[in-house]
Formats: sequence, C-alpha cells, structure tokens
Amino acid sequence: MNKAKLTPASSVILAGGVIMLIGSFLPFYEFSILGVSRSWNAWSSFTNLFLFPLTTLIVVFGVVMAVQVALATFAPGTSLPDRPLGFTWDQVHLVLAFQVAIMMLAYLIRDKGRLDWGAGFWLMLLAAIALLAGAILRTRDTAGAPPLS
Amino acid sequence: MAYRQQPTPGEIVIMAAGPIMLVFSFFDFASHTSSWGSGIFPVATLLPLYGVIMSVQIAVTRFTGMNLPKRVVGFSWEQVHLALGIMAALLALGFLSTDIADKQIGLWIEVLGGLALGVGAWMLQHERHTGVIG
Repeated sequence: MNKAKLTPASSVILAGGVIMLIGSFLPFYEFSILGVSRSWNAWSSFTNLFLFPLTTLIVVFGVVMAVQVALATFAPGTSLPDRPLGFTWDQVHLVLAFQVAIMMLAYLIRDKGRLDWGAGFWLMLLAAIALLAGAILRTRDTAGAPPLS
Repeated sequence: MAYRQQPTPGEIVIMAAGPIMLVFSFFDFASHTSSWGSGIFPVATLLPLYGVIMSVQIAVTRFTGMNLPKRVVGFSWEQVHLALGIMAALLALGFLSTDIADKQIGLWIEVLGGLALGVGAWMLQHERHTGVIG
C-alpha cells in the first residue's frame, strides 16, 4: 500500500494554496465612511481597482500549485506531464510562486487611496509568502534526489 | 560569424517590444496617469519591467558578446524568457479585460507589448531548438 507522504515543502504549498483560495473570497479592499461600508474581493470587478481578473490570476496560480502537490502526493497514479513546456515541476512552482509574490508585493506598494486592505488581502499576502517559501524549499528537497528515470 | 550576429525573428520581436513598452509606460495608461503614476504603479509597471529584462538580456548577449551565466537559479535563459513571456501575456490579457474606466494609449501599447513578449518567447523556443515546441 502506498502511504502518502507530505514533505514540509508540499505542506507549505498546500496550506498556501488553501489560504489563498479562502482569502480570495474575503474582502481584498474595504471602504467605510459615515457608517456606509463596501468591500470587494479578488473576484470582484469594479472600475480602476485592478481586481478581476488580475487578482484572480494570483489565486489561480496558488491553487494550481496546491492541486499539483495534492495530486502528486495523494493520487500518484494521476498522469501529469513530466516537464510541462520544458520546465520541471520544481521550476513551475518557482515561476508561479515568484509571480504570485511579485504581484502581491505590487498590490502592497500600490497607492490605494482611501481604501483599506481587507482580511482577504492579508490572507493572500500570507499565502503568497508561504507559496514562495514552499517553492524554494521544494527545490532544496529534490536537489539531492536522483534524477527522474 | 557575421551571420551569427543577425538577430532571429523571435529576438527582434522581444527587442522591439521591450523598448517600446518602456517608452509607452510614460504615456497615459488610464485617465491621465501613466504606469508610473499613483494608483497604477507598480501593478501595471510589471509589464514594461518584464519587457526591459527580456530585451536587455537578448541585446546584451547578441550585440556585446558579454558572457552572462548560462543558468539563472537553475533556469536556462530560454526558460527565463518563456516564463516572463507567458506571464507578460497573461498580465496583458488581464489588463485588457479588467475594469478600467478610461483606457489610454499607454495601456493599449502595454497590452500589445505583453502579447508580443509571449509570442517572441515562444518563437525563441523554436529558433533555439529547446524542445518545447516540436
């Protein structure tokens, strides 16, 4: 019987992906004035907020990373390409995690005017850091592993 | 030897897109604000940044003969171009479809440039026989 073994890197990526998905449904930006409040999440569309589909892209990347890790760990029989577009899976994770991190950093730096960040933004930022850490850890895990036959 | 100095079509596409994106990043992106303006920087600035990185790498290796490291954090330069090109194209499509009230010339050129980077990176794989494309 195959026992699923979740490495620390995979755990971090899996957790990051789940947190990213949950955070995407919570408020990314909030606005409150004189008792009137409004919020938008990563799937919302509103003029000049740069949310859907830009923030959704971040979520999709995080979810793709988590799903790949979950499939490789818990459903090893699943047929995934060895090298999608010539990249190893470690490289795919690095590319996606880097893009997620750089985009969340961009939103962190961006002047948001009178808007406030919501819980969703902070969760997505936390998830981005976790995904990047997981992707880097993953390359270290496999650095000493024998090459794929 | 002189033939080797001639840029390939993929390289030309990338080398053209990068500087054009940089120049137009200073034009209005939305309303009267450029990619470097408040409220837009640095989310929209990622596109010209990717273009500049890709075009400078190709120009430097093609015209100066400078020896850059063969791999960057485990990635070949062709892979770096493909990764940045795909991300640039996805960002371009994102900006094309996101809700922006007053899309200006800067945005349209950035979108076209981002798509060009994706196409150029794809062509590069074929030209350099990386095996990504048959």
